[in-house]
Amino acid sequence: MARISPTRGQKLAFLIYILIGTCVLYLDITSNSFQSVKNGFKSFKISSSYLLNQITVEQYKNLKNRSKSKKSLIEENEALKEALDLSYLNNYLITKENNFYKDYDIIKYPSRSENNRSEFKIAQLRSFDPNTYNCCDRHRIFIEILSDDEENFNESMVFNSSGIIGQIIHSQKYSEVMLLTDISHYIPLKSITNDFFCNARGSGRSEIVICTYNPLVDSKKITVGQIFYSSGLGGIYPRDIEIGEVNKVIQIDPTTVSLEIKLLASPLEGDIFGVIRY
Amino acid sequence: MKYIKIVLSLILINLIDQKMAGITYNYFLIFPITFLSYSFYVYRSNSSVSPSEAFLLGLFVDLISETFLGLNAIFFCLITYLINIYSNAFKLFSYLQICIFFGLSSAAYVGFSQMIINIWNFSYVTLFVSSFFNIILCILIAIISAYLPYFVKQRL
Repeated sequence: MARISPTRGQKLAFLIYILIGTCVLYLDITSNSFQSVKNGFKSFKISSSYLLNQITVEQYKNLKNRSKSKKSLIEENEALKEALDLSYLNNYLITKENNFYKDYDIIKYPSRSENNRSEFKIAQLRSFDPNTYNCCDRHRIFIEILSDDEENFNESMVFNSSGIIGQIIHSQKYSEVMLLTDISHYIPLKSITNDFFCNARGSGRSEIVICTYNPLVDSKKITVGQIFYSSGLGGIYPRDIEIGEVNKVIQIDPTTVSLEIKLLASPLEGDIFGVIRY
Repeated sequence: MKYIKIVLSLILINLIDQKMAGITYNYFLIFPITFLSYSFYVYRSNSSVSPSEAFLLGLFVDLISETFLGLNAIFFCLITYLINIYSNAFKLFSYLQICIFFGLSSAAYVGFSQMIINIWNFSYVTLFVSSFFNIILCILIAIISAYLPYFVKQRL
């Protein structure tokens, strides 16, 4: 049966829908106007997949575990693993042997003050798309902060056992975390000697942030392997935390040098995170 | 009922698409299964697909695939319009021409979508490899459909 070719009215309708689509796309890219819709859908998606998982996979696992005599050992193993993850996070703040800080004295600040300690919350990973993390510009994860307090966690720093991974940008039931590698994200960095500062932008590639500077203005020589720390100038991240080391130095033109910095922490390392507001 | 079937199929295909993307991206290859499946649905449809249906399905795909809203809506509207325009002319085309049409449209989809979601790391290698692969794959599907009809119930 022959299909009828679009009439003039249908062509106009296509044009109108394409224009509406373009406007929606433009608004979404430039102003994040539909963030609440997206977050609502994301929450629904995470909750339903969690429920589905509880009803199907977990039930099956429980049945399987019951049939085994090693059930108690498995439970103990899971509890120990969780305790170990939490202890890694606690070590981030209180242990002096960790290697995140250049200046070990600042470890005392969050641990000394009771107010600061109370802001340290545990969060669990709820959604992470590794495809987007490996290919595209938007690097986001969703976490659930395990806290009864209804406080606003926006602009809180998120870290795991190896270091900083990003900051919370939307705090709801599931909080959206913008990773350091997201192209919209900037983190102010400095060298160990405090004589070189730059804003590192997310590269859209996994584990890489990029710093650009003008060598005519800043004559400091940066070499591969040099370690960079947070400068604390942005107000989100505390100063003197090790962020990563220079992976590549690229001379784009006589006035622009680009530094590729490989991050110390990766969000893929675990599913337990710490959330703290400095 | 028809729409529920389409929506459920889109969810399933999109899930496969996302799982496959993680593997194929390492080889500079993007295979837009959701887009191609939708194109095939429009192509095989007995009646013209309306612009509102294309737009809403596109928006739904945007939501489930967590891209910018409007991205797939625009592409779905465009491909629906093109297929509706050429729906009768396709009957005069050879299989090769139809395969090249779908391969090139998927290449255009990959190119434009990468320009929007991955502009900072846009890769021509990915674009060319994906175009080549998509065209070859469409031709292969057509060959299977034409010469081994036992494996495919409906011929293209």
